[in-house]
Amino acid sequence: MTLKNASATALSRLAWRNLWRHRRRTLLLVLVVAYATITTVLFWGVQDGFTQSVQIGNARFLSAPALITTPQYFEDPDPEQGLPSLDFLAQVQTQPGVNAAAPRLEFPTLIRSAYTADAARARGVEPLLEARVSNIPTAIAQGRMLEKSGEVVLGRQLAERLDARLGERVVLDTSALAGPQALGLQVVGLVDSGIAPVDRGTVLVHLEDARVLTGLQTATGVALDVTRGQEARIAEALQPVLPQNLRAYDLTQLLGGLSSAIGTKQSSTFFIGMIFSLFAALAVTSTVLVSVLERTREFGMMGAIGMNPHRLAQMITLETVFATSIGWVVGLILGYALNLWMATQNVLGPVFASYGGAFEILGTGSEIYTAQSPVYALYAALTIVLAAFFSILIPARRVQRLNPAEAMRTE
Amino acid sequence: MNVRLWLLLILGLCSLGSAATDPQAVLKAIVDNQRGGSVRATLTLSVTRPDRQTQYVLEVVSDGNQRALSRVKAPAREAGQAFLRVGDNIQIYNPTLKRVLRLPPSGRSDSFLGSDLSYSDLAGRDLEQDFTARISAETADNITLELTPRPQAPTPYGKVVLQARKPGFVPREVLFFDQRGQAVRKISFAQYVEVSGRSFPVQTTVEDLLRPGHRTSVIYSDYQFGVNIPESCFTVRALEAGC
Repeated sequence: MTLKNASATALSRLAWRNLWRHRRRTLLLVLVVAYATITTVLFWGVQDGFTQSVQIGNARFLSAPALITTPQYFEDPDPEQGLPSLDFLAQVQTQPGVNAAAPRLEFPTLIRSAYTADAARARGVEPLLEARVSNIPTAIAQGRMLEKSGEVVLGRQLAERLDARLGERVVLDTSALAGPQALGLQVVGLVDSGIAPVDRGTVLVHLEDARVLTGLQTATGVALDVTRGQEARIAEALQPVLPQNLRAYDLTQLLGGLSSAIGTKQSSTFFIGMIFSLFAALAVTSTVLVSVLERTREFGMMGAIGMNPHRLAQMITLETVFATSIGWVVGLILGYALNLWMATQNVLGPVFASYGGAFEILGTGSEIYTAQSPVYALYAALTIVLAAFFSILIPARRVQRLNPAEAMRTE
Repeated sequence: MNVRLWLLLILGLCSLGSAATDPQAVLKAIVDNQRGGSVRATLTLSVTRPDRQTQYVLEVVSDGNQRALSRVKAPAREAGQAFLRVGDNIQIYNPTLKRVLRLPPSGRSDSFLGSDLSYSDLAGRDLEQDFTARISAETADNITLELTPRPQAPTPYGKVVLQARKPGFVPREVLFFDQRGQAVRKISFAQYVEVSGRSFPVQTTVEDLLRPGHRTSVIYSDYQFGVNIPESCFTVRALEAGC
């Protein structure tokens, strides 16, 4: 076998050997790619973790994974637009994918203590059913969940603002179908979820009290716990079993503008991820190009003993692919390890908290963890593809154009 | 004096006698005195704050129970504002917007013209509706009632202590306590006038006990009690155009 006719295997072996003949250069290449890979994996882990935090915050605390209500209430959340009846509830509970269904009666209210008053949105619930569709009952840090009418559960921050303590009475005022109504309710639980809008605004009352206050004898909606990731499909599948004037809304629809904002953020994030890969690939290419310039004499020699320029270019490209692959694997190991650590330790929560109220409106909690997905390895592999492409485009083409006689004279 | 008047007098005395033993009846008698029945009057509202004092002059008509219409006459920048309370419904007329705005039910407990008074203090019988009365002390001249909230009553207070002068159950002081036993608000009454056998306090002072220097005094003048207030005075038209 001559260098002229070197087989792919031989060429690969040659490229591999060359890597270790220039260890410092190879190490630099590996480091650049490993750094880009770690960054890419972490970038996507943080991005997806944050999105999941928003979705969980909204699905399990602020809203519901899916909600059945009237289109009128969806447009104008006023108890007067509530459900005409709850007869459909039993049938909905038996539908595939529906894990639990809980009626809710939400209404605007003014909540008063002996010291001050604050506006809030109260949620009338069946205590046992609510625990199956919402995480709020499990986030009660002091006291307990509602057990009977005459009780109220407040967000901890709201209770602090009102200076209302466990066992004390607060007054809820509202005006709906029953006209102006007010009830004094005893505080039995304080919610500390770490999600600012929840801790600041939660007012849970018994469904019976909500009915007395509003005059609505049904509910404003039925919250559903459905299989995660299947919200849209299940909401659509429920439509045929619902009365004509009702609709099932999935989380994306319930999030409204926030959902499209998340979508926009995802696409812009993908663009930023591409830029990461592009810069990493350019860094690799420039290193390879410098390497090619430094090895001009070596390439001239190889050409002189019979290796054609095309094969030389292939060898350069293979060297690039090998070095970036090693960097990719090293980066994946370190990146996924770091990502796993950040998925178990609340490193991001304090970082996002330092931005103050900017993220609170999204419904994120004080604990934000990274997400894990094998697809991040593919995103990071984009660096290798781009690096290979650029090395074909620039250093390999340069090698192809080399004149062995001239190259050998290069110092 | 004809027989009918004698009968009314006897019934009145009976009711006073039973009020002495029935705390709820005593409470009703005190609130009756506090409201004074139907009235047409000028009201001077002085709002004192640590750094300033503001005075409002209002014209008020009330049926003495659940309905009242108040219109600001001075200062000039506030003049024309009017407030109509009919039961739990409170409406405001804004002369700048020339619009009638309905206050949410929470308006009942809102501050009236930035003072320490709420709309509930101006009209209504919340003390009777929301509390159960108990006589905690009684002498020949005074009676003290301790009011505790009824179950689910819409009041954030832990208790209310009400002092009245005997005979006639003339209100002297109402002390509101939070649910930790701390006094948070005090309403004192002074300068009484006799109105159809009732002693109506024409001077009321409200103090926020949690914020020193926050005080509001209300003084009635040019009053006419027991007058017939037309139904048309408690309408949106009267709110806009006057009564």
